Formats: sequence, C-alpha cells, structure tokens
Amino acid sequence: MSRSLLWRGIIILAVVLLSVLAAHPLAEKLKLGLDLRGGIHLVLQVQVEDAVRSETAKDMDRLIQELQDAGIQANGSPITSSTFEVNGVPAGRDSTVDEIVGQFLPGWSWSHRGETVVFEMAPANLNEIKNLAVVQALETIRNRIDEFGVAEPVIQRQGLEGTRIVVQLPGVDDPERVKKLIKNTAFLEFRLVEYPLGGGGVRTREEIEAQYGGRLPEHLEILTGTSRDRQGVAVGQQFYLVEKRPVITGRDLKNARPGLGEFNQPVVNFYLTFEGGKLFAEATAANVGRGLAIVLDGKVASAPNIRSRIGDSGIIEGSFTRQEVEDLSTVLRSGALPAGITYLEERTVGPALGQDSIEAGLKAGLIGLVLVVLTMLVVYKGTGINAVVALILDLVILFGALSYFRATLTLPGIAGIVLTIGMAVDANVLVFERIREELRHGRTVKSAIQAGFAKALSSVMDANITTLIAALFLFQFGTGPIRGFAVTLSIGILASLFTAIFVSRWIFDLVLAGRKRVDRLSI
Amino acid sequence: MEFFSDTKIDFMKYRKYFVILSLALLAVGILAVFFHGKLNLGIDFAGGTQLTLKFRQQPEIDELREVVADAGIGDAQIQRFGEESANEVIIKTPTVEGQEEGTRNLVVDALSVRYESAMTGDLDLNQRGSEAIAERLYELDPDELRATDEAIAGDHYAEVAGKILERRRQEGLLVSWDEITGIPEVSTEVATALQENAYLGEFAVLGAENVGPQIGAELRLKGILAVLASLVGMMMYIWFRFELRFGVGALVALSHDVLIVLGFFTMMGFEFNLTTIAAFLTLVGYSVNDTVVVFDRVRENLRRSRRQPLVETINLSLNQTLSRTVLTSGTTLLVVGSLFVLGGDVLRGFAFILTVGVVVGTYSSIYVASPFTLLWERIFGREARLRRQEA
Repeated sequence: MSRSLLWRGIIILAVVLLSVLAAHPLAEKLKLGLDLRGGIHLVLQVQVEDAVRSETAKDMDRLIQELQDAGIQANGSPITSSTFEVNGVPAGRDSTVDEIVGQFLPGWSWSHRGETVVFEMAPANLNEIKNLAVVQALETIRNRIDEFGVAEPVIQRQGLEGTRIVVQLPGVDDPERVKKLIKNTAFLEFRLVEYPLGGGGVRTREEIEAQYGGRLPEHLEILTGTSRDRQGVAVGQQFYLVEKRPVITGRDLKNARPGLGEFNQPVVNFYLTFEGGKLFAEATAANVGRGLAIVLDGKVASAPNIRSRIGDSGIIEGSFTRQEVEDLSTVLRSGALPAGITYLEERTVGPALGQDSIEAGLKAGLIGLVLVVLTMLVVYKGTGINAVVALILDLVILFGALSYFRATLTLPGIAGIVLTIGMAVDANVLVFERIREELRHGRTVKSAIQAGFAKALSSVMDANITTLIAALFLFQFGTGPIRGFAVTLSIGILASLFTAIFVSRWIFDLVLAGRKRVDRLSI
Repeated sequence: MEFFSDTKIDFMKYRKYFVILSLALLAVGILAVFFHGKLNLGIDFAGGTQLTLKFRQQPEIDELREVVADAGIGDAQIQRFGEESANEVIIKTPTVEGQEEGTRNLVVDALSVRYESAMTGDLDLNQRGSEAIAERLYELDPDELRATDEAIAGDHYAEVAGKILERRRQEGLLVSWDEITGIPEVSTEVATALQENAYLGEFAVLGAENVGPQIGAELRLKGILAVLASLVGMMMYIWFRFELRFGVGALVALSHDVLIVLGFFTMMGFEFNLTTIAAFLTLVGYSVNDTVVVFDRVRENLRRSRRQPLVETINLSLNQTLSRTVLTSGTTLLVVGSLFVLGGDVLRGFAFILTVGVVVGTYSSIYVASPFTLLWERIFGREARLRRQEA
C-alpha cells in the first residue's frame, strides 16, 4: 500500500470516527426544533411608547411641582408621547423657568411662546428610554420564565436596537398560561378608597357620581373590579371611588409569596422594602376604618377595610385560584413590566404533531435512500457500491456535523436531509459518467479513472456551488425552521463534495492498488 | 446499465416548438396565479390564525364552519388534516380587527360551547396543562395524603398529572376514561375523583399559530427579496464563471421553471407559506445546477474546437451530458417523490414544488437555457456584429 493511499485512508477514517463520536448517541445529541419536539415560539413587541409616555408625564409633574415651589402657578398638558407644554408662565419669569428646567430636567429641549413653554424630549434621551424599556422587559420576562421553570428557554432581543423580543419555550403543555404570565404588566398599586369609605364597592357608577353632583374632585377617580360569587364565577362589576395617588406601588415590594388566608382561600403574602414599609405604616395608621383598594393593572382586585396599622408585610386578597395566586406572586416578585407587550407572532406546536412529522419524514427518507441505493447499484453495478459507500458516509458526516455544531433539526431540515440523499449522488454520477466516456474513447481503466475525476471536477464544483448559493440566500431569509433546512442542505452538499471526490477516489485507488493491469471495470 | 451512450440526438432542431410549448405553459401558469385560482396565501404571509385540532369523533366540516361564523369570524378556511381516521382539522382564520393577537380563544370557546356544554366538571383533561390537573388533584386529595405530609402529596399528584399528560401526548387526545384508569400511577380513587370533577373534552388543540399583520407584511417583503436576490445571485455567478450569454440563458431557464411550477402549485391549491419559499429557492439552486453542467461541457467543447458552430457544440454537449442529466434528475425525483407520498401533509406542498420542479428544470436546461443562449448569440454575438458592420 502506498503512503498516499494510507494517509488518505487515515484522514477518511478520522473524519468518520469524529462524526460518529459527535453524533453518538443520536437521540441525545441531535437538537430538535420546536416544530418537532413541541413548544411555543413567541415574538413580542415592547410598546416602548408607553415607557416614553410615562417618563414624559413624570418629568412634567416634577417640573410643575418645582415651578410651584418657585411661585409660578403653571399647568402642564402632554401633546404627544415625547412632548408636552406648560401654560401660564407669567411674562418676565422665563429665566426662572430656564433655570429650573436646566437643573431638574436634563434631556429636554424647550422653547418659549408667550405664556407657553413647549418641551421636546432630546433624541438621545428618547432612545435611552426606549432601549432601557426593552432591556428591562427582557430581564423581567427572563425572571418570570425562570421562576416558571422551563428547560432550555430562549429569550432574546431581536437585533441590537430592536424593540422586539423572541421567546422560545420547548415542551410547554399550557401555552395560554405562559402567554398570560409573560404579558402580565403586573402594575400593582395600593390606593385609599373615598367612596364607599369603608371599602367594598357599589353596583353602579351613578351612585358614586350622585354623591358629588356629577363632578368628581380632581384627585379622585372611579375604578372597576369584578365581583364574584363563592365559586369564583364572575357575577358583575363593582365600582370604587379611589384616590389617584397610590400609597405604595409594586416597586415598594421586596417579596411576594403564595399563601392561605383566614378561610383557607389562596392569597398573596407580600413584604415591603424599608422605605415602602414606613410609608405604608403611616398611611394605614392614619386611615384605620377606611377601605384600601388593591389595584392590579388599573382594576380593583379587592378593597378590604383597614383594621389597624399595617407594617412592612400584608396580604393581597381577591377571588383568586391557587394557580392565579402563584402566577401573581411570580410577576410581583419579577417586577412590573416597564411597558405593555403585544404578541406579534405565536407558533405553538403540540408534541403529538411533531412526532407525526418525524415519523413521516423518517419513512420518506428511508424509502428514498433505498431507492437511490438500488438505482446506483443497477446503473453502475460494482462501481455503484462506491457511490453507496460515499452516500452513507455523507449521511454520517451530516449527522456528525449537525450534532457537533448544535444545529437544530427542524421539519424542513428533515426535508433537507431527504433531498441531500437524492442530490448527493449527483457528484458521483458526474464522475462516473465521465469515466464511462473515457473508457469508450479507449483509455485503460486506471487512466480513465484519473481523467474522469480530473475532467468532472469543474462540473462538480459548479453544480454544487450554485446549490450552496441558493442555500445561503435561504439562510439569510429564513427564521427557525427554514434556517434548519438551509443548514442541513448546505452541510449535506459540502459533505457530498468530500465523499464524492476524496473518498470515492480513494476507494477506486484502494481496489486497484497493487494490480498491474486492470482490463475491466464494473461500471 | 447504460441508458444513453453515444447518442446523437439533434436537440436544437425542434427548439422553436419547445419554446412555444414553454410559452404556453408559462401563460397557463400566470393565468392560474393571477386570475383563475389565485395564490392560496398561508398565514405566514397573509396574517391570521391557524389552529390544528383533534376531535374525538369525525367532525362535520360544515358544522364547524357554522360555529366559527357564529363566533363572529367570517372567511374561515376549514379542512381535514392528515389521515381521515385521525379526526384532525385545520381552521384558518384571517386577522380579525381588535384580535391581532389571534382568534384562538374565540374559536376554542365557541367550539366548547357547541360540543361540550353537556359536560359536567370544570377541568378539561384534553385542554389543561399538567400543573392545573395536579393542583386540582391536590385540592381533592383522593389518595388522602395531605393529612400525613403535604409535600409528599404535592409531589405525588404532580407525578400522576404528568403521567396523564404523557398519555395525552401520545395521540394528542384522551378518547376514553379507560386510558386514564390504565395508567399504573392512577389509583381507583384518583380516577373516580377525576371522573366526578373533570371531563374529557371533545377536542384538543394540537397546534396554534398566529401571525400578526405586521409580521405578515414583513415576511412577504423578505420572501420576495430572497427569491429575486437568489435569481440575480445565480446570474452573477454564471456570468462570472462563464460568459454573459450563458448567464442570460440560465436566468431565462430559471425564471421559466419558477413561474411554471408556481402556476401548477397554484392550480393544485397548495398553501403558499414559508416552506414554499424554501422549496422555490431550492428549485432555483437545482435548476441552475442542471443548466450549469451542460454549459460546463459546452465551454469545454468550445475550447477544443473553436470553428464548430455554437448550435453543433451545444447539441454535442447535451448528448454528452444526457445520461447524467437523466440519472441525477431520476435520483432526485425518487427522493422528492417519496417525500410527496410519505412525508406528511406539512411537507406535501414543498415536495410537490420539487417534484414538478425537477421535471421542468431538467426539460428547461435542455430546451430553454440553450436556445436562449443561441438567440442571444444570434442577436449580440460576434457574427451578428460582423453582419451589422457590413450592412
């Protein structure tokens, strides 16, 4: 055996061994996509405008407060989410306004128009707020999903500057619950109730309005809550008149845990930060006997009566189920989302559906493989074995590479593998046809093989590069499943180049080695 | 076995007739796409919700349509999915205003009201997750474990619920209570408690997809760009590797294949979705692959004998590569054919494109790419230039 033959044999053996090692055991090493193993794929849009709007409102309130302290009774009103105006600035006080804004409102540009000052958020500040909202949302969602306990979750921002978040959760069996959990803004406030003073609630909005002659004071508003019967079935709406300013909000929470209430009903136990606890204790001490509304996302969950001063912990009651209490604790612990979220795209695949797809794909692949192998053997007889060995090695390398690179196998990916089986033999066919031609022109077997490989090389390369170009565009275009297809097709094609040119040639050389004259080739 | 050795077929002799045939096929294709059936855009591109449901009994499609329409969703597409005995259907609804996040809940609620109103209990074992079932079992505590140890009870019922879900996963739907009583971890007491408090719903949601209008529009644009970019990319490659005249021939053949297959695809009523784009891009790759092998041989033969007219060189090259062309198309057809027959409903459209595409692509590399290269040569080639100079 010549040295070259030996070395090439060692290289081939090494590649095959590495592939087998990488892919063994296949069931564990191969990463299945969500479409095959089942799971949920979500694309979320963070409503960054929400965060901008609330920042604008906060800064505006701050400014009005500071102006008041400086003796200017102005009022502000928002224009768009990132602009607002302040009215009623007396002539001659412009410089005072400039001073205050310069001190307390960095990140805003403003211009005077008579008694009105128009404020516009600076672009850098605007981008910063939007970016922060996405980063915070990402963090919050990650915390919630971690607590929920999903194996191998993917939670990513789409693009560096994007306002979208991609969430992929394999093997979730109650997708609706997860969707609710993620989206829950969980904005919690405790607000003092004005009417009915002791808490509870009333049946109609009119009853409250009648108390004030139809005109509510500025600092109050009416909120609604769902009233339920003992079985937890919604029976109607309750109305509450509450203060606009909360006593404390979810930001003052240190921890929240599910627990049981007085009548063994599920409740949330919460613990406040030191600062929050102080505020809460003061407010509850001063308002014993009054109702305290627990407001979640603008809806009243319950409005119990304050029986005594409450310190740094308490309970949230409402008509919750155990699961709801668990989820509520989770979202309260993970913090409120800085902005609302909408689902742009959802793809949920149950495991049963994926299993069917795998079985169908496997069957098609096996039948296809058998047919192609038979064709090769019938058409090329002895040499056909060469092509079959190349094809099998191609598949071994393909699975090895898929496992090694932790590529995800998807349903279109299976189609890519099946397609590879059909197209991989093309390189062999090109070479073998050329060898036949050279034999017809009267060459000896050895020289025909030599010439066949040499002359077919250019065609083989061209033919495969075009397919690779197509796969490249596909990868660029595709998401998830489609990328899986582009990946399997590309690896399959590259591997077939190796097997059809390098391995197949080696097999010819090995079989013919040591024989001085070869008269016939089975082709 | 050799199919073709030393053939001397004059492929180019009848090229005019084949150009006419191609034009006719193209016309049919374009008519199909734009006028006759119209492209059946899937939710990937049109936006909307697609639910895959499995029923206990074969549902009446018309009845389902009525239920969905009553829920306030017009224009829903409902069809059977998979084998008939599987009792599976796909319900596709367009994006409903105010329901951009999908109509899943609307449809599921409407179906529950229609098919499950007679059921007692409030826990649907075919819809709810294992945690909800575990929680319910913990509350009911049929195995009476909570009195001894609450943690053990929690773990126990979680395991039982997990086994029930595992059983459901096998077929996607629990058909009868026997399936639950047959699970070793389920005690008689648990089975009884579940039968009293829970029910086996008439249907289960196997898959739910929703694509919002925004994403749909983006995917549409991306899809069109990907196909166009790949066409241009292919032409550039051939131009770079060969000559412009071959690039033009290949591009014409390529567009020809894509349009004709698109026509057939539309006529068959297959759904146009993301996988379809993948199939078409693959077809683009395959079609060029086939053409390039012929051109490669033409180039080789041109180098050998510059004198020979291009027509004869092309004919010779087509004959020399005929055996390869037929064989490669054959093996590819074998696999995409088996994918079409056995690969399941989801991949059927994909396999169809490639099956038809391989046939059309093989034909076009003989009868479209080469004639157009010849035509280009006649109009812009060296001889044509010489003739123009004389005149």
